[in-house]
Amino acid sequence: MGSWLSRKSKFDDTSNTVYLMQMPRGTRVPSLSPFPLKLETYLRMAKISHKSILGFSLSSKGKIPWIRHRGKDVADSQFSIEYLNKEFGVDFNAHLTNEEKAVSRAFLKMVEENLFWVLVCYRWFFMDPKDFGFSKPIPWLWLAYIRRMTRGYAYGHGMGRHSEEEIFHIGKLDLQALSDYLGAKKFLFGDKPSETDCSVFGMLAQFVFSNIESPHCALIKKEFPNLERYCHTMRNTFWPDWDQVLKGDASSTKL
Amino acid sequence: MRLTFGDTRLLALAAGAIAVGVVLFLNASRKQRKRKKLPYKDESDTVYVVQIPRGKKVPSPSPFPIKLETYLRIAKIPYENVFARKFSSKGKIPWIRHRGKDVPDSQFAIEYLNEQFNVDLEAHLTKEERAMSRAFLKMVEENLYWALACYRFIHDDVRKADYPSVIPTWALLLFGRRIKKYAWGQGMGRHSVEEIFHITKLDFEAISDYLGDKKFLFGDKPCVADCAVFGMLVQVVFNQTYSPHNALIKNEFPNLERFCWTMRNAFWPDWDQILAA
Repeated sequence: MGSWLSRKSKFDDTSNTVYLMQMPRGTRVPSLSPFPLKLETYLRMAKISHKSILGFSLSSKGKIPWIRHRGKDVADSQFSIEYLNKEFGVDFNAHLTNEEKAVSRAFLKMVEENLFWVLVCYRWFFMDPKDFGFSKPIPWLWLAYIRRMTRGYAYGHGMGRHSEEEIFHIGKLDLQALSDYLGAKKFLFGDKPSETDCSVFGMLAQFVFSNIESPHCALIKKEFPNLERYCHTMRNTFWPDWDQVLKGDASSTKL
Repeated sequence: MRLTFGDTRLLALAAGAIAVGVVLFLNASRKQRKRKKLPYKDESDTVYVVQIPRGKKVPSPSPFPIKLETYLRIAKIPYENVFARKFSSKGKIPWIRHRGKDVPDSQFAIEYLNEQFNVDLEAHLTKEERAMSRAFLKMVEENLYWALACYRFIHDDVRKADYPSVIPTWALLLFGRRIKKYAWGQGMGRHSVEEIFHITKLDFEAISDYLGDKKFLFGDKPCVADCAVFGMLVQVVFNQTYSPHNALIKNEFPNLERFCWTMRNAFWPDWDQILAA
């Protein structure tokens, strides 16, 4: 009850501010999960007034991130974006043709439903937790619990049934597809960013800035340097205060 | 010690029970050994595709065997189906066996076969088109698949879908419970019925908009993504014809049904003959 009240006092449901519930900041990336980073990048791109509440308060669907706006809770990053598009009259895909919108959705799903599981399997099964970039060491009991839960989820999804080499290979093919499609363009679909750029950046930032000891980071530097260039473009454009955010600034408050 | 008549009867009963048990065990082992003897000729170049038996409306109630078989037909690779409930080393179906090597997972199987038979269904695509092909493949197999699986196994009665009669109802229901658990972990299972329908609609719209008037996704020649899209869409267009997804395709995305007929007529001219009676 106490924590519910303390959560409630963080929100001003009369204002137009969007409250974004997400995990505490990482030491190398504003979020160690691609989805809060996607959502926060979208909010910055759309110049929507927002405030991050850092903690582990899960949504009605049992996940993070979620948003609260004018007393309404919306779970899931993609449903949140659809809600905010409607509330604030935003459409970052307006300049795309129908075919480009279709391709945009395909890449969104490839990144969030396939490459995401490569990231998850690598992080929780094959990497040293010291290399994650969490602000504090993860207690061993928590680590064991999360690893066990993740193994079950990854097995059910399918990615967890593959070997480390196979998972690396699947990740490589996804990264190659992103790199080949991006080419020399500034953003995925040209000079203006689209909605999917938020998701692709949220995911690639984990490999490029966070998991710097991972083989996928080395792969990007060696074979897909345009993906690293792209991450820096997105970061410089929408996160000029990246370093301040990591140190802890007024854009976020602890739960 | 002298045995009484009661002791003797008890001993006889015990001996009889043990004898029956041994006979049943030996019989089960014989059946197990018989099941294990699948008809592979490892010295030939034939690819054996292990999958569950045919349905009455679709060659398979699962999209992945149809994807794999369609690929084999397009690539004109000699293959033979082995209809059995024998799961791969990864616990799934379909899988292939070629020259004594087992390859689980339809996509790894295709990559293996591309190398073995020097096939590349994407050779005619540009680099960007190959990238888009991969994106559509993954959208269909890692997103649309879960949306449709949730509908079939969780929101609707799975017994309405076309499954071979050798699969008992209890097995279908048990599998459905497993899918529910897996879908929760994957994420799709956490959404409401309406939300999942909305996600499905957006995926259909993306495929429909990209396909447009084209014969296949990327023009006049099919690629692996077409096989995957076909395997998935036939479940809606030909299998679960009673579903709201079928109505959605007929009303709003008719080119997806046209695509299914194009693929079926081009690569499955024997569709009606091979279905279960």
